[in-house]
Amino acid sequence: LTLAAPARTSPAGTPGAHGTLRARRARAVGPWLYLAPALAMLAVWVLLPLVATVGLSFLHWNLTTGHRPFAGLDNYRRLLTQPEFPHAAWRTVLYGVGLLPFATALPMAMAIVLWKHTGRFVGVYRALLFLPVVLAPVPTAISWQFVLDPLQGVLNASLAHLGVGPIRWLDSSSTALWVIVVITGMKIFSLNVLLYTAGLAGIERHYVEAARMDGATEWEVTRHVLIPLLGRTTAFVSFLCLVLAGQWAFVTINVLTQGGPQGATDNVYYRQYDYAFGLFDTGLASAAAVAIVVGLGVLALLHSLLTGGRLRGLRRRAAGTGVAA
Amino acid sequence: MKRYAMRTMSATLAVAVTGTLAVACGSSTGGTTKTASGSTGNGPVTITFESYNYGTPDLGGQGTQELIDNFEKAHPNITIKPSGASAADILPKVQAQTAAGNAPDIAQLGWSKEPAALANLPIVPIADVAPAADVSAQTAGILPQALAAGDVGGKLTAMPYTISTPTLFYNASLFTKAHLDPTKPPTTWAEVKTDALAIKKLGGGAQGAYVDAANAAKSDFLTQSLINSNGGALVSPSGAPQLDSPAAVGALSMLGDLSDSGAQPKISETDATSLFKAGKLGMYVTSTALLASLTKAAAGSFTLKTAGLPAFGTLPAKPTYSGSGLFILSKDAAKRAAAWEFVKYLTSDAGFTVITEKIGYLPLRQSTVDGAQYLGTYLTAHPAVLPAFKQLTTVTPYQEFSGPHADQARQVLQDDAVSAVMLNGADPAATAKSVNARLLGLVGKS
Repeated sequence: LTLAAPARTSPAGTPGAHGTLRARRARAVGPWLYLAPALAMLAVWVLLPLVATVGLSFLHWNLTTGHRPFAGLDNYRRLLTQPEFPHAAWRTVLYGVGLLPFATALPMAMAIVLWKHTGRFVGVYRALLFLPVVLAPVPTAISWQFVLDPLQGVLNASLAHLGVGPIRWLDSSSTALWVIVVITGMKIFSLNVLLYTAGLAGIERHYVEAARMDGATEWEVTRHVLIPLLGRTTAFVSFLCLVLAGQWAFVTINVLTQGGPQGATDNVYYRQYDYAFGLFDTGLASAAAVAIVVGLGVLALLHSLLTGGRLRGLRRRAAGTGVAA
Repeated sequence: MKRYAMRTMSATLAVAVTGTLAVACGSSTGGTTKTASGSTGNGPVTITFESYNYGTPDLGGQGTQELIDNFEKAHPNITIKPSGASAADILPKVQAQTAAGNAPDIAQLGWSKEPAALANLPIVPIADVAPAADVSAQTAGILPQALAAGDVGGKLTAMPYTISTPTLFYNASLFTKAHLDPTKPPTTWAEVKTDALAIKKLGGGAQGAYVDAANAAKSDFLTQSLINSNGGALVSPSGAPQLDSPAAVGALSMLGDLSDSGAQPKISETDATSLFKAGKLGMYVTSTALLASLTKAAAGSFTLKTAGLPAFGTLPAKPTYSGSGLFILSKDAAKRAAAWEFVKYLTSDAGFTVITEKIGYLPLRQSTVDGAQYLGTYLTAHPAVLPAFKQLTTVTPYQEFSGPHADQARQVLQDDAVSAVMLNGADPAATAKSVNARLLGLVGKS
């Protein structure tokens, strides 16, 4: 809203005080006019659905009939007392934690390696790395089905030569979630290599050269110069990962496991989708949506407190030592 | 920094809210009615047909297309617009279309989805679409059990369309290799286990037997067939689920024991089907509906044979059926009339002939089986259909859960009990007890 801070330069006593008033009013209205389209979109696509969802969470409704009796808190009671949603919430946390290395450490390492090497084929290699991001998610997931088939799949056939298996990748509740994490993680990895590359582009190569002249090893350059300078990028992608991990995994879950076996690969987004469009329990699905918004709201609050408050102090202290940005 | 935090926070909110969008947008749809297209009498009419057979690749889709082509040739004024989804997705799809004010004119839905369909869709009972004489002429000779499935409160609501029973498909070539007599397929589950272990011993990736109880469509028709055959029933006469009864626990234990002994691979239905088609699975207990596609896969590769559902010791095998009915949803009178014409063709002797020959379901009328111009000659050439057809006359009615959460209860039964015991080594008795408590909660309350 800093847009609405034009310098007030109308000198007193100039002819036409009436005109000045109009100009002032126009100046006050102007920014809102500019903002109107964005605010309207926000109201139509975000705020209204949010309010409607809260309303729906207090009704029993199957989406098709006009019969919508008031449910009170029954949908919330069912959401929290039936085992599926709390279980899915826990699995969502596991997705976030499981995907974190694919969102941070691994793409950071890859981006740094590519940044340090300026050969002719780096461009080609970067393009190849980005390929998984543009592959259509459903066919990719179906291809994985063939690869992971426990008895006829390529993966187990190869492992059999090493005397391992057969492993029931997607049929066993102990492995299924981690398989989905790896499949989803590959995409996130590719995308985040790009984000880290952008982060590195903002770093002056002089820092690295100076450190090298001081006799720092390549590992020390990475550890004490590059990783701290990439701190903001890391904070950003970690936050995105924790918030969006469940949604990123959705397509893979839907195609490969439908949340099974026994809810092992479930998460709150898939659960909400199943409530809404599998069971057509609109009230329950809306209660789940409200719970998700509240949960993410808490996470966002924590993030803003951390990055806005305590981290600022840390950064100031770190700046004193001449390391962090 | 603060602005950055604010921005990420509002971004997070936006992200969170998009999840709610999908649910909320349904709220704006009112009771949109289909406008009459001005087609009265013999004017051209286009009707939409949602079919899960049309949604299956290969034979199911081709067979349905043939039915549509035949019908359109005989009725040039009526155009059928078919559309498909998988058996598991068809009800959600029709429900979403209905919510958007765009319900199909005819929907093919499985009997296990019927309670949910009745509760949630604007179904026009068959008895209200056509004159009584017309309906009784059309239903004459149809298997009474199938008609009972389409009957709601004494009124024919859905027209019985396809039907199948559980069948034991077996790879006779693997039987011979394992020194088993291919003319004597197992008749009890104990024999299935022994034979399966003998086949598995062959090595080379050969697997013994697979019971399609934990199927992808989450249909419980095999679960019920097993419980019935073990002398029980999934639902008590008063409508309460009784998965913790000794008969049901015994049926679950049999499934778990087949897996734990190694006689049954712990894999999904999709993987089992492709394994059987590849000639590496000895026995496959599943719906007869797969007959046509399994026959095609076996041609030139192995000898495919069929037998009835195996029994528990000396108790009689009591399979229930799986199958579907045709539900009419049109609001427009002309479309309703056209839909009824199409339903009449689909459930005629000529229609049932195409369904059995091309897709693999069982015929619902004796006259279709006897007529030389219908299935008469086909069945002499394809005796594999006969064991299942013989089962049809003694078939036990399929039981439905009641109430608005019937569909969720069926999913819980299939996921948390059948699949858990069969594929993940859960203890049958303890699982049955806890899942039954869950089912009681879902079925007992609104």
